[in-house]
Amino acid sequence: MGSRIRRCRLVLLLLSAAGLLVLPAGRPTTAVAAEPASQRIVSLNPSLTAILVALGVSDRLVGVDVLSHRQNPQLVALPTVGGLYNPSIEAVVSAKPDLVVFVPSAEQREFQARLSDLGVRVEAFDPLRFEDVLASIERLGRLAGAEERARERTARIRAVRASIERAVAGQPVPRTVLVLQRDPLFVVGGGNFIDEMLASVGAANVAAGWSEPYPRVSLEWLVAQAPEVILDSSRDTAPPERYWARFASLPAVVNGRIVRLPAGAATLPGPALDEALRLLARSVHGEARSTNGEARSINGQARRVPGEGARRVHATRPAEISAGPTGAGPTP
Amino acid sequence: MASARRLAGILLALLGLLLLAAIAGLASGPSGLELREVANALLGRADGAAADIVLRIRLPRVALAAMVGGSLSVAGVLFQALLRNPLADPFVLGISGGAALGGILVLAFGSALGVAQSAVPLAAFAGALAATVLLFGITGFGGRVSTTGLLLTGVVFNAFASAAIVFIASLAGLAEGASIFLWLIGNLSAGDLRMAGWVAALLAGGLACAIPLARGLNLLALGEEQASQLGVDVERHKRILLLATSLMVGAAVAVSGLVGFVGLIIPHLLRLLFGPDHRLLVPASALGGAAFLVLCDTAARTLLPGRELPVGAITALVGGPLFLFLLRRHHRSVYAPG
Repeated sequence: MGSRIRRCRLVLLLLSAAGLLVLPAGRPTTAVAAEPASQRIVSLNPSLTAILVALGVSDRLVGVDVLSHRQNPQLVALPTVGGLYNPSIEAVVSAKPDLVVFVPSAEQREFQARLSDLGVRVEAFDPLRFEDVLASIERLGRLAGAEERARERTARIRAVRASIERAVAGQPVPRTVLVLQRDPLFVVGGGNFIDEMLASVGAANVAAGWSEPYPRVSLEWLVAQAPEVILDSSRDTAPPERYWARFASLPAVVNGRIVRLPAGAATLPGPALDEALRLLARSVHGEARSTNGEARSINGQARRVPGEGARRVHATRPAEISAGPTGAGPTP
Repeated sequence: MASARRLAGILLALLGLLLLAAIAGLASGPSGLELREVANALLGRADGAAADIVLRIRLPRVALAAMVGGSLSVAGVLFQALLRNPLADPFVLGISGGAALGGILVLAFGSALGVAQSAVPLAAFAGALAATVLLFGITGFGGRVSTTGLLLTGVVFNAFASAAIVFIASLAGLAEGASIFLWLIGNLSAGDLRMAGWVAALLAGGLACAIPLARGLNLLALGEEQASQLGVDVERHKRILLLATSLMVGAAVAVSGLVGFVGLIIPHLLRLLFGPDHRLLVPASALGGAAFLVLCDTAARTLLPGRELPVGAITALVGGPLFLFLLRRHHRSVYAPG
């Protein structure tokens, strides 16, 4: 497991090194170091907004998308410039930004070209892999003049990841699925930062073989995978343990290993991947003795009839897993 | 009587087709269970994953697909007859628009308001009922029900509903957007036996109203005036059948979203094959529509292993060419004048 991750990192390092060689030639404007920090930023993506807030530069934001607004109560006074699909070009321009940051979806790509035509500087982010998210944090830090804090944040995330990886080494690796949405059923597939985090916390993502990051799968496929842990991050308000209890054959149901993750807590490519990693580690390896009531095994059965693996985990629970949130960064 | 024997023969054949479709649906899926395991699970002699997969995933879906397909086809045949319009489909009167609006309100805002997604069918059915009340309120359910009035009200209400849905969808987030999109295409993945039971009850009610009135429907094809001269109580027929059909459509849309094409194509297809007698067409549509949707949903579940395609896309992709092929072959005998 560890060596796989190390290999991944190596590949990513090589890729980013290659990128460094190519990019300056292709895009002469990326002379990052000399640039003055942006003072008026519009963010069109909730994860990017959360990063800027966590870096302590929310006072430089002059406009955000509707979802950012909803998810960050401290931004209530900021003007909104439209939704994820339909940002308003006029609202963005009238906020007089010197930088617009966004994650290019099909709708927003078009938007980028139009804003660039109007002379607004636009920076695109695509935080798909774990290292991409960390790179986003550092790049946003550079752009917003919070380079130091950004580096602290990513160093902290790396440290937590390494310590969790050490802590779970040699522990059983339960077959796990992270459900993003129940109906239609979307799960976390392979090749994305959540999948990498699952690997880091010692969970075997049953959907890692999907090439899409977040595939829509059939219920039957999922039941046939016989996951031992179901992490349910859907927004549906119906309790997950009741929803999944229909499938009595699922090991996760039998052993009461169905955990509700607060929507977005582990699935947003934001500034708090360390918290996300801790949450995932607690959720995958049994009921945590933490103050966070959400990430607890819901069915009491697990405590009464723990599986062999579960008992071993409990006996040797590493400090990193049971530690509660440290408040090092806001949970998006 | 030859025609009674013909009717029984055709219905038996369609029933056989439905059974074959159901067996195919129960026997296929991405987990590759063997037929023996499927049979054991159905007979209650299996537990574990096979039982979960056959009894709790495949069986409810096959049942729901059958009931929805049957309801939509019967609704199609009845609307085509009542409105004397070959383009009529189950969604033409705006019942579906109301259902979609109700369901999508919950899909988009349910999690914010603390309403579980399992409330979607209920909200959709409430929307369908509201649309039905509105439809009859506007077109004057007490007196003479004007066909043109019905059609116009339905078209306008559907346009209104889809505008409202686009509006809601543009406010919703990514995850909700995906749900809304799938719901609008039609999707049976949420199937459970209780839902199938509700749809079956309303389908049975619809058939119980429609089959005794089938002779009147045949005469209605001559025009409302002519039919009433021949002793058909046209207004009574229309009121009863419109109400029963609206309930049927409401239930079908509530559990599966807008599965298109079944309700338009199956009635026409059966008319091409067996002629325009509603005494046959109504029950044949129930069986044929059920078989068709079970097959389409089986394809939706199995074409790409482990993945789900929206069944509404399959119905149109398969149904369209099939229909055009039959239309070309049989066109003269049924649709051409004289």
